[in-house]
Amino acid sequence: MDVLDLARLQFAVTGSLHFLFVVLTLGLAPLVAIMHTRYARTGTTLDERMTRFWGQIYVTNYALGIVTGIVMEFQFGLSWSGLTHYAGDVFGAPLAMETLIAFFLESTFLGLWIFGWHRLPKWLHVATIWLVTLTAYASAFWIMVANSFLQHPAGAVRDGDVLRLDDFGALLTNPSLSMALPHVLSAGLTVGGFVVMGASAYHLFRKTPDQELFSRSLRMGIWTSFIGTMMVVGFGFAQFGPVTSVQPGKFADRPLAAFGLGFMIMLGHLLQLVALLLVVVVKWAPRWRFLHPLILLVTPLPFAAAILGWIAREEGRQPWMIWERLKVADALTPGLTEAQITLSFAGFVGVLTLLAVADYLLISRIIRRGPDQIALGEKPAPAPALTF
Amino acid sequence: MEILWFGALALLVVGYFALEGFDLGVGLLLPVTADRDRAIGAIGPFVLANEVWLIAAAGVLFGAFPACEFALSANYTAVVLLLVSWVVRDAGLWFRRRLVTRAFWEWLIALGSLGVCLAWGLLLAGLAGFSFPFGLLYGLLIAALFVMHGRRFLDWRLTGGGTLLVTGGLAAVPALVPLVGMAGGVIGNAAPSATLTVLTFMVLPFVPVMAGAQIWVWRAFGKGPVPAYF
Ligand code: HEM
Repeated sequence: MDVLDLARLQFAVTGSLHFLFVVLTLGLAPLVAIMHTRYARTGTTLDERMTRFWGQIYVTNYALGIVTGIVMEFQFGLSWSGLTHYAGDVFGAPLAMETLIAFFLESTFLGLWIFGWHRLPKWLHVATIWLVTLTAYASAFWIMVANSFLQHPAGAVRDGDVLRLDDFGALLTNPSLSMALPHVLSAGLTVGGFVVMGASAYHLFRKTPDQELFSRSLRMGIWTSFIGTMMVVGFGFAQFGPVTSVQPGKFADRPLAAFGLGFMIMLGHLLQLVALLLVVVVKWAPRWRFLHPLILLVTPLPFAAAILGWIAREEGRQPWMIWERLKVADALTPGLTEAQITLSFAGFVGVLTLLAVADYLLISRIIRRGPDQIALGEKPAPAPALTF
Repeated sequence: MEILWFGALALLVVGYFALEGFDLGVGLLLPVTADRDRAIGAIGPFVLANEVWLIAAAGVLFGAFPACEFALSANYTAVVLLLVSWVVRDAGLWFRRRLVTRAFWEWLIALGSLGVCLAWGLLLAGLAGFSFPFGLLYGLLIAALFVMHGRRFLDWRLTGGGTLLVTGGLAAVPALVPLVGMAGGVIGNAAPSATLTVLTFMVLPFVPVMAGAQIWVWRAFGKGPVPAYF
């Protein structure tokens, strides 16, 4: 492998890892916000336990979202400075917006939510998780604006040998964006719904004590997956119009892109069928034990579909970094050496993969142990007498 | 407009040093701290709100000064060290109470914090054209200032009293000096005014929200029992 291949692989692997966590964040955030709102209204122990249990999973998942995201942001500067040189005046703007007005607030509000239990006034505390959700969606919006610019450089004009921002509105109404953004957000809901279903099915099948909590969670997961899959398939097909008009030949000329697309669509139909059948029997699903192992079996599939979707979108863009403007090879940092890229590849891919595995182990342990052992929102121990 | 955006960049970097400085300082102090639960509990609610200052600074660099981004690839090793150390430090905080043993993650928090300080030394020295050994020394200086700031923070938070302003100011000096030195070069490399205008109009309405959220963190977690999530 040469420097270019390694730099591409590094971006693809770290990006895929990042998205695995992001897509669950996008789906779980609104669900946890709804649970917390319900808890604030009823004040019941059931609602409290439900919020804290799913909130703990949400937060544990988010941890890896942040650390992989940090690496993503800086990779543009490290290995793709040709992109910044050619189009930084346009491409940098949505990235700046993402960090400044979305991520900055998301992270700050999340800290307030995690540490605000038993400390912030009830409704203000609820407000923080809704603000986390809102800013997470805003992040997704700006990142998709930036990505859509690579697919179709709308709103920019050529000025000598670089691109300049010409029409900011066109950047936001990019045809590559309008159907892709809702497709991604509904992919998030699909993933969130299936994870909530899967974890609930595990507890219902094992007949652990929290039957009521997980019956309710299972129903919530089924409804979320139903809405999610309907929308993800709908917006998925709606993407073909814009994609074939601005990127003709995208899937015809690239076998890997066609592979990703084909399998994503297959999984999409399968998941849609599963969610449709479950929504019909949603009333009885918590009691029908034979269903539960089957639900567990399909839980990883939406994650796979989401990664296949990115493979389709990004492989289909090759060999262009910016469609018909800048080649990927020309976007590579000039003078990037094999030693440098090998070092960062080992560091980023090695460390992040280990941490991702650790995080998934932790999430599955939290699920297995159930709502009794949740650190998030624990009552603080009585303050010890001051000792000096 | 270029000057305004340079001001934003400088504020974010300086703010990062003054704020994240005490988190890293407490991390460096862990091996010699007796009650680590309380020390980590003290910084816990601030870490998320502090580290985003640097992410935001990078955003401003990409958006408003894209031509300066070569500074990152020109100091490739230092930036990789910065990121990997940062990631390891964060992972230590999230996993400490939950996986393997606490001591393992506490060592990683300390090592990660040290790596971040050294990487900053190498990066800032590299930008000014200084040699590798000088960068390491600069990194050690940064670490020493952060340790001082971290100790002051623990005193302030756990026993009350005094001010964080002095050590915070000192912790920011290692960033302030190169920023002043590079101001001219950075401002001269700003994005065209069309881009800056858009950025200004989009970001300005959110500045009060950002400031408000940060102040809220300090008001909510500056006093009272030390939380135990991390
Ligand atoms: C029948 C079902 C589906 C259809 C017709 C469909 C269609 C598409 C198309 C055409 C693209 C590529 C757009 C481009 O190249 O610009 C795409 C991308 C993508 N898909 Fe799907 N998809 C389906 C199901 C799913 C499912 C179930 C998921 C995940 C749960 C998913 C997640 C994604 C993601 C993350 C992308 C990349 C971002 C984007 O372009 O929106 N898709 N999909």
